[in-house]
Amino acid sequence: MALETLTSRAQESTDADLTDPALVKLRDLIYRMSGIYHAENKFYLLATRARRRMKAINSNTFPDYLERLTTRPNRDAEMRSLLNEITIGETYFFRSQSQMDAVSKIILPKLMALASKQVVKKLRLWSAGCSTGEEPYTLSILLLEQLAQKFKDWTFEIVATDLNDNSIAKCSEGLYAEYAVRNLSPERRQKYFKQEGNLYRVNDAVRAGVKFDRLNLQDQSKMLFMKGFDLIFCCNVLIYFDGVAKKRTVDHFYNGLIPGGHFFLGECETLFGVYDQFRLVHFPGAAGYHKPSPEEEAGAAK
Amino acid sequence: MNPATRKILQRKVSALGNLPAMPSVLQSLGECLSEGSSDANIDRVVELISYDKSLAAQCLRIANSALFGRRIEVDSVRRAVMALGLWHIRDIVYSCSLPNMFSGADHGMAQPTFWRHALGTALVSQHLAQRLGIGNVEKYYLAGLLHDIGILVNSLLFREEFQQVLQQAETSEAPLCEVELQVLGFTHCDSGRILADIWQLPADISETIEFHHHPSLGNPETEMTCTIYLADILCRLRGLGYGYYEAREFDLASESSWRLLQRKYPAATELDMARFTFELDEHAIQVRGLVESIFGHGGASH
Repeated sequence: MALETLTSRAQESTDADLTDPALVKLRDLIYRMSGIYHAENKFYLLATRARRRMKAINSNTFPDYLERLTTRPNRDAEMRSLLNEITIGETYFFRSQSQMDAVSKIILPKLMALASKQVVKKLRLWSAGCSTGEEPYTLSILLLEQLAQKFKDWTFEIVATDLNDNSIAKCSEGLYAEYAVRNLSPERRQKYFKQEGNLYRVNDAVRAGVKFDRLNLQDQSKMLFMKGFDLIFCCNVLIYFDGVAKKRTVDHFYNGLIPGGHFFLGECETLFGVYDQFRLVHFPGAAGYHKPSPEEEAGAAK
Repeated sequence: MNPATRKILQRKVSALGNLPAMPSVLQSLGECLSEGSSDANIDRVVELISYDKSLAAQCLRIANSALFGRRIEVDSVRRAVMALGLWHIRDIVYSCSLPNMFSGADHGMAQPTFWRHALGTALVSQHLAQRLGIGNVEKYYLAGLLHDIGILVNSLLFREEFQQVLQQAETSEAPLCEVELQVLGFTHCDSGRILADIWQLPADISETIEFHHHPSLGNPETEMTCTIYLADILCRLRGLGYGYYEAREFDLASESSWRLLQRKYPAATELDMARFTFELDEHAIQVRGLVESIFGHGGASH
């Protein structure tokens, strides 16, 4: 599969594409529309994915494609298709190692030191738009390891939601191909999965902490019940919402977090122009968003 | 640092013969710059650089890299000087000559690691200063390049102790200067300041070297120190650090340095920090390439 991807990449974007000034404009347009940023070293990905869409609608040049994304009547639909192309097939276990490091090395110790958490000693996480389950199961593996090592008296619960019934069914099945587990060490595969032919099934220990549910993030009344989380992940989901829906959804996330909680988007995704209550925070190799606790709020006002 | 420690350190730094002297080319360049960019001066600068063939070649390579935002080939030192201006040429000459001067400091922090961080901080400081609309940004690159010069002093003069500092910092994932204080009793900010005084660097750059980890201790707290402080941390968190994982969360909004810049420069409030971070990643790629070209293949490691 990797070889296939490489070959098609070579066919679909050229060196000339990468220096086309229209590609920079396309990058900036996508950023304005979705908050997804393609750094220059990701231009080949951007060019390839745009080329795929261009082929589908018979557009031959980036300037022409830009025009179709900005001035044609069906521009919104085309932007959606492009974003779909950009985020497709992006999910596998431990996809963002730097986010996971930030959680285990920095955020967990900090959360556990919070006075409010000392009484309950239970962590609550939400994987919003969990797709086929790689993300919540990754978090489950991470927490199993971390709690066993350092925080034995703590427990955790991961709520994983998605709009799509098929995705939820796939989550419950917990059966993955090699591609999904390619980032996992043999030890982790051995410890947390049962091999079934070419496939890997998550074991009961990993499953136990995860609760799957169908949820539409636009369902205002249901969203009101999503409360008391320490950490929320929502990767490559907001890009499909318009500005108002985006803002409303992120507002629910903000309110759903405990003070001192953290929120992560996809690695190249930002809340640019969407929401300003969260504080942008940096961890090694990963940026995230933070809901300050009252003490932190007071510290910033000094 | 208490006065007694300072005295001992000062004696140790100035007594040692193997401490690099400021290369004559840099000194002469400094003189040319203070006299302004007359034709005679440009001739002199071109002559100074061309005199050292390997320096001239390295200058051309950097002048042609994307680091200085140029995409048009310059094939002679004169053209590089004309195209980039004397300030940039000075930055480039510094970037080329400093690594050579300190080639004896190799038993401390790995040289490529050190220079990736120094060059990264130089670039990010300059970009940040420009984006904020700070006037006279010419010195920010140099201040960024030199801010950690004390690390080289420590590597040269306190070999074994500094090795211990690095190991301990890596194990504890703690900031370098905290560990320096524990092990050595002073930090690279202190030893850097002493070298800056011996070299007779401009006062604002020397202040920045001394206070870049605690801008508020500077008298007064200057925008240069604050900018380099922020650029330094951002680089460390985006893969251009000291070569080990620093377990820290960096919340820009709670930084007094950032608030000072926001008070003085309205553009700071408007700056899209998430995007700025992604752009930093683009610089990082260029910086890696440059360091690789200076140090050969060993520079490619992380």
